[in-house]
Amino acid sequence: MAALSWRHHTLIQSLLSRGPLKEDDFASIFSQLTVKNSGSRKQQERKLFNEYLKKINAEFSCVQLELRACRNQYDGHVYYGVVNNVEDDQSKLGTKYTVPQIAFYKGIVEAIIHDAEGEGCIYNTAALNIRLESQVHGATDSQSQGGAVQIPPAFKNFSMSQKEKTLDQLVNDQWLCSTPEGKIGIGVRSFLDLRSWFRTNEVPSCEVCNEAAIKPVIGMLTLPLYRVYSKGYLFFGSRLSGLAQLCPNEACNVRLHSYCLEKKFSGQRGEKVCSGCGTQLQGSTVKAELVEEITNADVHLQNSQQAESSRKRSRRSNREANADIDDTGDDSSLTSATMSKTKRVTRSSGRLTSSCKCCFSANGSLADFVVRCWMTSI
Amino acid sequence: MSYPPEIASQFDIPDLEKDKLVGEVIRYILFKTEQNSGCPIRREELTQLITAKGYKQRNFPSFVIDEAKSKLSSIFGYEMRELQRSRPSAAANTGRASQSQQSVGDAKSYIIISKLPSDVYGKFVEDKSSVHLSGLTFVVIGIIHLAGGKITEENLWHHLKRLGLHENEENHPKFSNTKQALEALVQQRYLQKEKVNGPEGNIVHYELAERALDAPIYDKIKEYVAQMVQKDATPLEYD
Repeated sequence: MAALSWRHHTLIQSLLSRGPLKEDDFASIFSQLTVKNSGSRKQQERKLFNEYLKKINAEFSCVQLELRACRNQYDGHVYYGVVNNVEDDQSKLGTKYTVPQIAFYKGIVEAIIHDAEGEGCIYNTAALNIRLESQVHGATDSQSQGGAVQIPPAFKNFSMSQKEKTLDQLVNDQWLCSTPEGKIGIGVRSFLDLRSWFRTNEVPSCEVCNEAAIKPVIGMLTLPLYRVYSKGYLFFGSRLSGLAQLCPNEACNVRLHSYCLEKKFSGQRGEKVCSGCGTQLQGSTVKAELVEEITNADVHLQNSQQAESSRKRSRRSNREANADIDDTGDDSSLTSATMSKTKRVTRSSGRLTSSCKCCFSANGSLADFVVRCWMTSI
Repeated sequence: MSYPPEIASQFDIPDLEKDKLVGEVIRYILFKTEQNSGCPIRREELTQLITAKGYKQRNFPSFVIDEAKSKLSSIFGYEMRELQRSRPSAAANTGRASQSQQSVGDAKSYIIISKLPSDVYGKFVEDKSSVHLSGLTFVVIGIIHLAGGKITEENLWHHLKRLGLHENEENHPKFSNTKQALEALVQQRYLQKEKVNGPEGNIVHYELAERALDAPIYDKIKEYVAQMVQKDATPLEYD
């Protein structure tokens, strides 16, 4: 394939330098770089845009990176960014955060996921009161056999002022966000890479769009620390959007995002039943406008991610060949805990084979279209 | 990716493996640059990355590093600039015949620099939220350049104070800890720092290091400083 031009390089470097960019901003950069005729049709421009992304991603494949789009679940805006695809020794370097800071971040995300209100955000004070000890595997396990769990001194000594500084830094770096109400929510960067994380952890996908569909997590959901190292990975429970549904039949693995459910059965007469077992499904509460908006975004993301499926198939076969995908050698206790607990809260993870019928995106996160975002600032 | 046969045949390693290794080196450079905020990456680190995997063939690390350089350019538009580490002039002169200030380096390192034209970079790539760091870098290098390439710590802070930066300030709205901000320039190899024994005790000197002395950067700094000095010296000529 021909080398990328300076225009491609500009797009790439803008994302690396400025971080995740809103769709409008990214599209504006693209327009300024490429539009020669002011009369270019929007459709032609979109086609060219997709070609650019495709070409960039083809070149990126050799370095396990990808340029993708993602929807911020708080404001609904689509963001573009460069995302890391692989957790390896190199990507573990890609963070300026220390281990306690990462543990703190994990704790915040889990608190958001487990928030009883299900609003997808928590108060600042709640974030600051998170204890890092809870991030140490087995530290809070009442079932432990009385064996002392070593809490690293750095965790114990992580002061309130350090928490405050870290919280500011995480918001500034867009790993977390500050909502208009002054609460702490998940940031754009954290939305990215959910897909990759879900893929790696065999989270079942939505029957319709093949995006990972996560039910509210019950119990402790631990995030592997190394995920954050790569600046991409973060898991998000569907409580943030409340849009994922499991089939009411416990024995059935089918799950759908609520908006996918709506889309699938819109215009159809008769009851909404599960395609796997025929059990009646509950209706979605998603507004029609949101469904339409997401459908439109679907088309775009589908066009820009067709290469993803072939990569996904190849990775899946590699994953099957390498049964132990959790072999990071780093924080393995947290990693294995994550794996086991993920398996416990999700059902059988055997159904990762369905191809995208609707939005055809990679391991998605929740109801929205997660795309990746990546490391910044070079 | 296929390599030229005459080169590929040197090493009895499948192309796929070479590709993978080149990819890892590129990823290492990108992630490490991010982690250490642009500090140069020693060639030794890259070599070790390759040899640690068991590849002991002579010249193979150089081959992989060259390939990584090429791909960083073609894929990302980054130049992988090689720097030669310079030693402080005081150390270079001690007990030896006098040397030029830029003594021969003993370690190669790399930084990545955008190859985009400066107007394109400024318009589409530059992160506006970190321009204050570029500004500080330019100002400090400019001061030391005007001081002849070397300046005492005290003198440097004297000049920085005139610009509103105080040595012991820890809550600067932009730099937080200003001393750490200056130290970062040492880590990034724009400056090097040395303690010299003097009649009044240890005196810390700052002088320009290899990154500031790298020709494209050094020439630009000289040009900008000259413009500013000339403008200040002859304001009426611009009317």
